[in-house]
Amino acid sequence: MVTSAPPGATFLPRERFDALLDLLREGGRTVIGPMLRDGAVMLDEIATAADLPAGWRDEQAPGHYRLSDGHGPRLFDVVNGPQSWKQLTFPPRLPVATARREEAGGASFAPVPPDPPRLAFLGVRACELAALRVQDRVLAGGTYVDEDYRARREAAIVVAVECTRAGATCFCASMGTGPEVRSGHDLVLTEVDDGFVVSAGSPAGDRLLARLPGPRATAAQIAAASGAVAATRAAMGDDAVATEGLRDRLMDKLDSPRWAEVADRCLACANCTMVCPTCFCTSTNVHSDLDGTVNVAEREWDSCFNVGFAKVAGGNFRPNRSERYRQWLTHKFATWYDQFGTSGCVGCGRCVTWCPVGIDVREELAAIAPPAIPVGRTPPRPAAATTGRFDVATLREVHAETDDTRTLRLTPGDPALLGGLPGQFVMVEQPGFPAFPISASRYGSEDLFLTVRGAGPATAAVLATPIGGEVGLRGPLGRPWPIDRALGRDVVVAAGGIGLAPLRPLIDALLADRDRFGSILLAYGARTPADQLFRDELASWATHGIEVVQIVDRSGPGWSGRVGVVTNLLDQRDFARRPSVAFVCGPERMMQATTRVLRDGGIPAERVFVSLERHMECGIGLCGHCQMGPFFICKDGPVFSLAELGDLFAREGI
Amino acid sequence: MADRSTLASKLGGTWFGAGLASRDRDRLVASATLRAFGVGEILLREGGACETFGVLLSGLLGMQVLVPGRGTVTLLTVEPGDVYGWSALVPPHRSTSTVLGVEPGEALIFDASELRELLREDDALAATLYPRLLQSLGRRLTATRFQLLDLYARERDYVPW
Repeated sequence: MVTSAPPGATFLPRERFDALLDLLREGGRTVIGPMLRDGAVMLDEIATAADLPAGWRDEQAPGHYRLSDGHGPRLFDVVNGPQSWKQLTFPPRLPVATARREEAGGASFAPVPPDPPRLAFLGVRACELAALRVQDRVLAGGTYVDEDYRARREAAIVVAVECTRAGATCFCASMGTGPEVRSGHDLVLTEVDDGFVVSAGSPAGDRLLARLPGPRATAAQIAAASGAVAATRAAMGDDAVATEGLRDRLMDKLDSPRWAEVADRCLACANCTMVCPTCFCTSTNVHSDLDGTVNVAEREWDSCFNVGFAKVAGGNFRPNRSERYRQWLTHKFATWYDQFGTSGCVGCGRCVTWCPVGIDVREELAAIAPPAIPVGRTPPRPAAATTGRFDVATLREVHAETDDTRTLRLTPGDPALLGGLPGQFVMVEQPGFPAFPISASRYGSEDLFLTVRGAGPATAAVLATPIGGEVGLRGPLGRPWPIDRALGRDVVVAAGGIGLAPLRPLIDALLADRDRFGSILLAYGARTPADQLFRDELASWATHGIEVVQIVDRSGPGWSGRVGVVTNLLDQRDFARRPSVAFVCGPERMMQATTRVLRDGGIPAERVFVSLERHMECGIGLCGHCQMGPFFICKDGPVFSLAELGDLFAREGI
Repeated sequence: MADRSTLASKLGGTWFGAGLASRDRDRLVASATLRAFGVGEILLREGGACETFGVLLSGLLGMQVLVPGRGTVTLLTVEPGDVYGWSALVPPHRSTSTVLGVEPGEALIFDASELRELLREDDALAATLYPRLLQSLGRRLTATRFQLLDLYARERDYVPW
């Protein structure tokens, strides 16, 4: 078997750099690279290595860019300048078509065919390679292709340079695009003390490398190169933007007050979009000769920050700066994923540096869509998840809530059962009877609390367990209430009947972190005063920062409170004034009526959560009993947002 | 005694009165007064002549009916913003329940005969007021249906209709 060893890296001494330029220029190619001009490092034609900014460094910060020289012999110590390579692949102004008025009312139209210059891009950074990939997807990866862009991309050789310095506005490591160069290049250079480690990334690069004079790079040189890039990564850090879940977090914050606040600083100058290497919005402007016969259509960079960008004949869809800033940030960091499968940001930092007022996307993202901070504990792996395996818990105490409902205090054998999250449930079994699901009604430090209503033989058997007796438990199972969605928001907890039980651990968690939430309202409806759960605690919650409003369907002796239904407590409130989240549990018909008034009151479907009840036997998505549309209630739920459920919620016979 | 503009703005601050044109509010409150009530204080008596129509501004009102052998049963409590004494506008002008204070508060009350007279002579005002009244009664009817459904009942207690 014949194997060809991969071509190794070549070492190019700095004083021999012109040899690379000569090679790139073969066949009439023009080399474009970083060059000092107008007080910045711009992209321009590089004739000799002397044109490169040797010894220059840049100092970048939000709204700040300064250059200084005398930093030694290195050619690529400057990081990104204001121009990105889209300057060349996607020019700011490009004639795209001509249209002529012919004699006798005729008209003719002709596109301007692509005529790409043959260029070699020298000094393309990892973030820029990522940006080219993003624009490849946007402009040449869909049903319709920008022919001019594709021709320019195909005509260019890409010589990447790995960053051995990072600017203070760089955050490629956070966005997962750099500083290491991994793909999209023909050649890649890494600058070390006395030259460059050069390797190839494409067949064309292999051919160039084979003809580049110079010794093979030594192991020490290769190690120095990769060490320098690793040091750049370490200096930059990878936590400038919390990308995990960013799309959903950001789209969830369309009504953040921060949009208005950032709009007070934003000048809508569009600098950020001009310097952004992925922004691709354009307008076509037609220039006519004096008698209107010959018309040339030019495509020009435009920006969603420009006031007329979303204007139509009847008005403007985004007249305010806050709306335009939101459009830009949510497109770049959220809806770009939906449209193109990737982030629209590559972390080059240009929009931060070149913002005249120093608005920093990293800061805005952290303020508008902070990473979800876990509230309470993280869900444990369940103890004895699979059917047939049970943890054995000892019954310590029974508290009668109503004439048919008891709260059991159980000490499980496996502490995992104590680590469950609010809204999760356990399967409970007494030997000889089928297992049934019960939501935890409280997690104690040593005990698990289950509130059980005697409804049939299996629940009766568990309720008949003597103190000190044992029951089998599997869990915690299912998806919990998403408490993190309530951070910083007003919270509505609506409970009906024994639906208060699965909500009690949620209330415990809200109270444990009380200052991290806005106002908290508990609206609790029960059949009669005697059917209320946790009666003693309702009063105590009211003294701990929760507005507790109780109502009963039927009053009884000694009841001097509200009579009626839960919706009466909610349907005249305005939940739209502050961002609110609702957690609802009760009989399905009650949840339907309640969620309707919450929606009408201004809480979006994405932030109204219900806990569904269905027949469950396994609790882990295997037995099929709890299937509802595309969901297994046990595994995908029991907690869902109304948005997730859509038309399935409270529909008959589903 | 509160002046008329205060009463008009109090009416506009309730959900029943929200969005009423200022002309309509002014006409309505021309004969309105404020009534404060305490816990247990009876504002209307079941079966009695319903001589006032009220909009609750604060506190809580209970609506009770008498069931011989069971005593008085509170069927409903009325929250601020809602109305009571609608029988004042609908013949035979007799209260369908006893209305009494559950939590102390204040109501904006309208003399029944003056209000009827006003609505008879001002068609536009009547055409504005009656749909609002129907809306609040419809809301009460819907809620009553939910009470009748007895949604929190145990399966064995639930008797199909």
